[in-house]
Amino acid sequence: MTLRTVLVAATIVVALASVGVFGVRGRAIWNVMRRTRPVVRWDRIGERLLSVGTQVFGHRRMVRIPFSGILHYFIFSGFVVLLLDIVGTIGQVFRPGFGIGPWLSLAVDVWVALVLVGVLMAVYNRAVLRPARFHGSDERDAYMILVLIAIIVVGIVVHESFYPVVAASFFHVTDPSLKSEFLGNGLYHLWRALGWTTPTGAMVGYTVGYLMDIGMVFAFLAYLPYSKHFHILLAVPNIFFRKLGPIGELVESPPEETMAIRSFDDMRWKDVLDLFTCTECGRCQDVCPANAAGQPLSPKMVILDLRDRLVSDWGRPAADAPPLAGGAVSREALWACTTCGACQKACPVFIEHVPKIAGLRAALLEDGDVDPAAQKVLVAWERQGNSFGQPARKRPEWAKGLEFPIKDARKEPVDWLWFVGDFAALDPRAREMTPLVGELLHRAGVDFGILYEGEVNSGNDALRIGEYGLFETLAQKNLKILEKATFQRVFTTDPHSLNALKNEYRKFGFDKPVFHYTEAFLALIQEGRLPVTPVPIRATYHDPCYLGRWNHITEAPRELLRALGVDLREMPRHGEQSFCCGAGGGRIWMDETGIVERPANQRIREALALPGITHFVVACPKDVSMFHAAATALGVDDRLRVTDVTELLAAAVGMRATPLPAAMAMGSSE
Amino acid sequence: MRIAVLVKDVPDLVEELELDESGRALAVDDLSYVPSEWDDQALEEALLLKEASGAHVSAVALDTGDIDNMLYAALAKGADRAVKLVGDYDRTMPGRQRARILADYLADAGYDLVMTGVQAVDDLDGQIAGLLGGMLGWPHASVVRDVAVGSGPVSFVQEYAGGRMAEFRSATPLVLGVQAAKKPPRYVPIARIRQVSRSATLEEVEAGAPSAESTLAVQRLYRPEAQGHATMWEGDAAEVAAALVALLDEQHLRS
Repeated sequence: MTLRTVLVAATIVVALASVGVFGVRGRAIWNVMRRTRPVVRWDRIGERLLSVGTQVFGHRRMVRIPFSGILHYFIFSGFVVLLLDIVGTIGQVFRPGFGIGPWLSLAVDVWVALVLVGVLMAVYNRAVLRPARFHGSDERDAYMILVLIAIIVVGIVVHESFYPVVAASFFHVTDPSLKSEFLGNGLYHLWRALGWTTPTGAMVGYTVGYLMDIGMVFAFLAYLPYSKHFHILLAVPNIFFRKLGPIGELVESPPEETMAIRSFDDMRWKDVLDLFTCTECGRCQDVCPANAAGQPLSPKMVILDLRDRLVSDWGRPAADAPPLAGGAVSREALWACTTCGACQKACPVFIEHVPKIAGLRAALLEDGDVDPAAQKVLVAWERQGNSFGQPARKRPEWAKGLEFPIKDARKEPVDWLWFVGDFAALDPRAREMTPLVGELLHRAGVDFGILYEGEVNSGNDALRIGEYGLFETLAQKNLKILEKATFQRVFTTDPHSLNALKNEYRKFGFDKPVFHYTEAFLALIQEGRLPVTPVPIRATYHDPCYLGRWNHITEAPRELLRALGVDLREMPRHGEQSFCCGAGGGRIWMDETGIVERPANQRIREALALPGITHFVVACPKDVSMFHAAATALGVDDRLRVTDVTELLAAAVGMRATPLPAAMAMGSSE
Repeated sequence: MRIAVLVKDVPDLVEELELDESGRALAVDDLSYVPSEWDDQALEEALLLKEASGAHVSAVALDTGDIDNMLYAALAKGADRAVKLVGDYDRTMPGRQRARILADYLADAGYDLVMTGVQAVDDLDGQIAGLLGGMLGWPHASVVRDVAVGSGPVSFVQEYAGGRMAEFRSATPLVLGVQAAKKPPRYVPIARIRQVSRSATLEEVEAGAPSAESTLAVQRLYRPEAQGHATMWEGDAAEVAAALVALLDEQHLRS
């Protein structure tokens, strides 16, 4: 029996065993996915391929943490090059004389070096830098994989180094690539100096190298689906099947009976794919406002706990098994979520955490397990149509002090239909801004109207609490009245209403354009309909989650502020990477037990770290309320003024004086 | 243990209340209605008893109009049966008439325990439970909580003024006016109520006509009238403190 026969036989045996082990797990996952709810992710192929290009080969999200991004690129690209090596190495054993040529051989050795550098960087990252985002991840698995990768690439160099002798003595061919395999060649000279290049020595050395490389590659393949490293294979499909948008739409089509997730069958197949694609990198945990506030929510652990639960019974739980919602994932974790979406935006493999959390919340809600204060709000929405439990007739009361009547869009045609929203209409502080918005529109000569007491809450937050039926009821009430009204576009100051009207009402056939006031007023200024004089303040701008992250509206507010002459300075977390105020997803009404530091307070401190900032500008009625409270709680409201864009607009057109923090206001009066 | 929970809807006090032309009653047709919050407590307590000891819970309501959703909600929350007492009824019926119709139904409907809210916004003196007890000749207690059922008598706690309370045990059948459930009433998602309204049916029972027995007649219905106004003390802390001390002396509240 020749060396070649042994190696060929070993390769076939190992490959078959590996595929078998891999197949067992693969089939189990496939069986779970087959039972899940449908979701269409085969559309817009071009966009999907482009997204795979930029995110997989461009590593766009990965490099947001540069050290991790670079080390991962070394290892990731090494895997692509490793495929060349596998072809070359198996080829030379199965078909003597086969080679991949000097240039590709050179590439293999270059990448062996890069992968080793990447592995060392990864070890340094895990052992020395130890970022908090890894907390809760399976560190043993991570090291295990790094060791496997190191063995494989070292194995490549080892079998390369003995190949010239093996090729000549056993395969009876010459090695055409040794010169370009600079690592293998170097090692070959070392072996020669040590006298190990005898035919027997080379045979042993080559076999060891071959098994370290090819043997380990197949062992690795078998291990993959049992480890977080399954992402090597699943990341590409998971990114391909990502949610393309509108991403602000939480529920793509009306659920048959309920949106509740009680078993894995209630998930969409993409949700199951998500679970096995998770790399445990913890970037989601790193950006989660609930996690930062000290609450027991980590988006990463939600995914991992669901995955572990799925693997424990393959979706066929015993009768007495704890439920998914409140069992596999704790109720405290589920209710802590603000649905801000930072987790999804940070995930390099495009896992969707929020729909899973909302579905699990719906299951809790069906069992009556909901925060009592949030329950009151749900009842108020159902009865009065607003979260404040105020009678509907109070909704348009803010308009009473205006010197001009606002058109009733239910009775006469208007150009812009202003959807006011609960907070802008009824919150004591936010509603101070609302008449100003009306006055600004009036000054700009906009033909606009409101729905008066006919408007009810948009249902955006009800849906995110997991109450689909209530969302639908509210949406239908609004749609009934919107259908009768004549208008060209919807205008709103409230990002939550904007998200519902723009993204969630689509499934009921609503398709009118929806604009945020920052977009609308920017256009009015640019068209010259609203002449402004500069407001020379130094400010930072907070992106509301439902404006920036979920609707990509980050530039209009900034352009607007610049048009107003504001010296805008950015906080480290801005744009689509903004940090939630803590109010979303119904959190604004829920119990704060367990919160160590409110996200809004953390955000105000982030702003205070910027030199010379006097204004914290917001563009969401809920933010007005949240950040005023935070600035007061931190005792900094005398030097940092929380200001709605509306107040700056009012100052710029000469309606009001520029709002100043108390310290500056006193200074200016002296 | 078969439990009947009597539920009704009441005017939503969040909305503005209007009087009818007579000035002696609310303009019932212009109001919006919500389930009475004390009945919600009674229902929750009954459902907790069901979960603890397997009682059979029926929600019972007089058909005074638009009450189906309230009964479907009770089913969605976990009630086993919903009974609608049908007749020529309207929302202006006084408590005594309501009690008579309910008593006639309950007398031989086979319930062991009848629970209802201790009061309602339109029945602040909490007459229903007491009237039912009297009409049926069954034991009755109101302002109760912590109801427990087992193989023997029903036990419960009755609250008294000054934070005192008494524990009772009573044989069945029994009527209880419930002050509060052990837990806040549960939330039931709207989709669940809709689902139940498609799959479940409300049991309709033809009940008697409203009796002609005499009830109290309302002379006049009116908003609370201000009897006096608060006095605001102006001045600095010392002046306000002096005024406060003078008032305490005047009222002989300072020793």
